[in-house]
Amino acid sequence: MSNALWIAVLAAALGTLLMRLIPLLWMQRRLKRLGDDAPEAMPQWLSLLGPLMVAAVFGVSLVPVTAGPLAWLATIIGMIATLAVWWRTRTLGWPVAAGIATYGVVVTLFG
Amino acid sequence: MNLQAATSPARPWLSGMREAIPLLGGYVPVAISFGLVATQAGFNAWEAVIISTLFYAGASQFLFVGMIAAGSPLWLVVAMTLLINLRHVVYAPNLAPWLTSSRWWGWLMHTLTDQVFALAHARLPQLPEAQRLGWFTGAALLAWAIWVGGTALGALAGGKLVARWALMGEILPFALPALFLVLVAPRFTSRRWSLALSVTIASSLLLTLLGLTNAAIPLAAICGMLCFQVVKFDTAMQGDHHE
Repeated sequence: MSNALWIAVLAAALGTLLMRLIPLLWMQRRLKRLGDDAPEAMPQWLSLLGPLMVAAVFGVSLVPVTAGPLAWLATIIGMIATLAVWWRTRTLGWPVAAGIATYGVVVTLFG
Repeated sequence: MNLQAATSPARPWLSGMREAIPLLGGYVPVAISFGLVATQAGFNAWEAVIISTLFYAGASQFLFVGMIAAGSPLWLVVAMTLLINLRHVVYAPNLAPWLTSSRWWGWLMHTLTDQVFALAHARLPQLPEAQRLGWFTGAALLAWAIWVGGTALGALAGGKLVARWALMGEILPFALPALFLVLVAPRFTSRRWSLALSVTIASSLLLTLLGLTNAAIPLAAICGMLCFQVVKFDTAMQGDHHE
């Protein structure tokens, strides 16, 4: 890589780090100023945006790597299996494992 | 909400690593793909690994090497990379109430990707304060190491791996939507939240299908927030606003 390209890599990496770090420092100062009642000290729009960003990431991840009727069918059945196991166990790992296994079975059987 | 996996009080970092394992199903194939794409774009294996180590932001890395390969001006490459990563600004403040006073948190913010945020946002509030730093360190560093390792693997042997394990590359990424479903499901606590979350999920899915993958996350979240603010159910107003 040329020197200019290295500088571009470093600039983009540093900018990304600052976008992750500076809001934390801002929020920590705000929490310190407003006292210990931490969750209530968060601006309402920000507390809404957190769960909604996770939901948005979920929506993006739903689109299969190789889009097609079979992949969509496997996604739907895999989601149902994941949800069913989560409903019963309320754990993190087992529903994911069940979802992957179900997705894999559908893709393998009908593929 | 209770996603409580048994967290070992003595080794919270181990619990963090264990709970981050579902992330790997999504990270490994994408990291291998990035390593492969980067070498095809003219970067060598070391350069691809350094980019993954320093950026650690999937979509923007693909954009970066793609634009460099296409001969775009460097200032534009940097600007577009940062624009895609702009959504990260809301992640850390959402975790801040549950972070302890350790100075390590600042450095650990480098590892705050979409997926690590989603996991930490669900788990940190459930953990005792003394375990949070260890848990986050274990989860985040495992995910980072896998991303960097996957890039190296992709750069060195990506072509062979993709040809040989094509089906696994198709199945493993399902770990990500499955994990996110488990993280999102407990938040359907009221009609108001359910509607806002459903609108967000549908919007991001639609925007992604329309090819707007990078804009989908912030735009869909804004749609959901507007929905939450505008639509209010008469019978369920009290206690409707909670996490």
